[in-house]
Amino acid sequence: MIDIQDLTFTYKDEPAPALSGISLTVTDGAFLGIIGPAGAGKTTLIRAVSGVIPHHYTGDYYGSVRVNGLDTVDTPLTDLSRLVGMVFQDVDSQIISSVVEDELLYGLENFGVPREEIPSRLEFALDRVGIADLRDRTIASLSGGQRQKVAIASVIALRPRVLVLDEPTGELDPRSSRQIFSLLKALNREYGITVVVVEQKIMLLCEFADMLAVLDQGKIVRQGKTREVLARSDELEALGVNCPRVTLLTRLLSERLGKSLPVSVSLDEAEKLVRGLMQ
Amino acid sequence: MRDLFQYVPGTSLLHRLNPVTKLLLTVVICVAAFITDRLIFLLGLLALDLLIGFIAGVPKKTVNILKGLLRIALFLFILQALLTRKGTPVFWIVTDTGLLTAGKVVLRLMVVCMPLALVLAVTKINDLANALVQVLHVPYPYAFTITTAIRFIPQFLSEMDDIMEAQTARGVEFDAAKGFRKLGMILPLCAPLLISSVRRSEQTAVAAEVRGFHLRTAVSGYKQYPFQWIDLGAVLFCCALIAAAILL
Ligand SMILES: Nc1ncnc2c1ncn2[C@@H]1O[C@H](COP(=O)(O)OP(=O)(O)O)[C@@H](O)[C@H]1O
Ligand SMILES: [Mg+2]
Repeated sequence: MIDIQDLTFTYKDEPAPALSGISLTVTDGAFLGIIGPAGAGKTTLIRAVSGVIPHHYTGDYYGSVRVNGLDTVDTPLTDLSRLVGMVFQDVDSQIISSVVEDELLYGLENFGVPREEIPSRLEFALDRVGIADLRDRTIASLSGGQRQKVAIASVIALRPRVLVLDEPTGELDPRSSRQIFSLLKALNREYGITVVVVEQKIMLLCEFADMLAVLDQGKIVRQGKTREVLARSDELEALGVNCPRVTLLTRLLSERLGKSLPVSVSLDEAEKLVRGLMQ
Repeated sequence: MRDLFQYVPGTSLLHRLNPVTKLLLTVVICVAAFITDRLIFLLGLLALDLLIGFIAGVPKKTVNILKGLLRIALFLFILQALLTRKGTPVFWIVTDTGLLTAGKVVLRLMVVCMPLALVLAVTKINDLANALVQVLHVPYPYAFTITTAIRFIPQFLSEMDDIMEAQTARGVEFDAAKGFRKLGMILPLCAPLLISSVRRSEQTAVAAEVRGFHLRTAVSGYKQYPFQWIDLGAVLFCCALIAAAILL
C-alpha cells in the first residue's frame, strides 16, 4: 500500500536532511507504529506519506514514495487525499470550522459523498470516537482532548484507505488514548484500512501495532514486526526509546533465568508468561 | 474581548434568518447611517442596533460591544469637536457645528460597528461562508479566507494572553504599566505572534486542501439555506429603512 524507496528530504533553507535514506514498505491492511525521539523526523515522514511533502513543503527531495501505486510527486494532493486521511500533530491548525458538526461535514461535502449517505457517516464517526454529545458544540468551547477527537472523527468520516496520524493522543488522558487505539485497530480489522501512527505512548503502540519503525536523526534504525523489534529492547533503550515495562520484565527474566522467553507486549501476555514460569 | 466574535447558540428570530438576509440587514443599516444627515435618525439606528441585540438574546454582549465602542467614540468625539473651526463658539474653542458633526461621526461609527459584531454572534461562520457561496456565488476561496480570518481572532488573542502570562512569570509587569508604556511593552510581542499565526494559517491551508478544498463548488454544501417568510419580512424592513433614511 505504501512503498518508500530511499527517501531523503531536506527542508528548504535547512542545513541537514530531516529524513535520509528511508526505505519502508507497508502492506495493505497493516498497522504500523512509528516511534523515535523528538526531532527524529516522524512528522516529516508522515507528511511525505500523505503527499503534503513535496506538494506544500518545498526542499530537496530524493527517492520515491508510492501510495497504492501512485507516486506522490506526480499525483495532485487532492487525488492523494481521497486515498490517505491525515490527522495533524497540531490539532488547532487542522480544524477549519467553528462547530463540531460542520468540521465533520467539510470533507464529506467536498469529496462529494452522496447526500443520503452523509447522516450515517456523521453518526458513525461521532459514535465510534465517542463524541456524539459534542455534535452541536462550538470548537472554541472544547478542551484540547475533545478537539483531538473531533479532528480524528472528521478524518474517519471520510473512510480513507490509508489513515496516517501524527501523535493523535498527545492531549488525551490514558483512557481516551486507549479508546482511540482500540478504534484504530477496529477500523483496521473491519474495513482493512491501513494505519500508520506516530505515538509517544510506547505501551499502547506495542499492544496495537503489528509493525514498528524506530526513527532516529532522520533514519530508520529498526523496523519489523513489533515483537521482533521489541526483542532487542536493550538496543532500543540505548537509542533512548523507552520500552514497555512488561517487555523489560521479560528481558530481565530471560537474562536471570538464562533461557530465551517470548517477548510480551501486553500485561495479559506478561501475566501468562509469569504464571507459566511459576508452575 | 475574548468572545467578541464568538457565535452564541440560540433559536431567536435573528438566528433563524438566512445568513444572507442578516448580511443585507447589516449593510442596509450601514448605508442608512451614511445616507442620513439627521442626528435623531442616527440615534434611532443605534436604538435599532440595541433592539436587534436584545431580540437575538445576547443583551450582555450587546452592552459590552456598546461599552467598548463608547470608549473609542469618546476619544473621537473630543478630537473632532476640537478640530472643527466652523460655527459659533459654545465654550473655549468648541463650536456648535463642531459638537454636531462630532456627534454624528461617532454615532455613525457605533451604528456601523454594532451590527457587524452582532451578525457574528448569531451566525455560525460556516453558515455565513456556505450561504455566500451558494446564494451569492462568491468564489469559495474568498469566503474561506474571510471566515478563517475571523476564526483566527480568538486564537490570536489567547496566544497573546499565553505570551503575556509567560512574560509576567519572568517578571515583566504588564499590570503596573498604563497607556503608551503598556503599548510599548506589548508591541514587541506582536512579531512572534504574527510569525506563529502565519505558520498556523499555512497549516490550516494544508488541512483544508487534504480534505478537498479544491473540489468544493457552490453545490457542495450539505446544509441548504432557503429563504423563508421571515426573510421576506426582513427585506421589506430593509427597504423601509433605506426609504426612511432618504426621505427623513
Ligand atoms: N516546516 C519545517 N521547516 C523547516 N524545518 C523543519 C520543518 N518541520 C520540521 N523541521 C525540521 O526537521 C527535523 C525533523 O522534525 P520533525 O519531523 O518535526 O520531527 P519529530 O516529529 O520526530 O519531532 C527537525 O530538525 C526540524 O527542525
Ligand atoms: Mg512531530
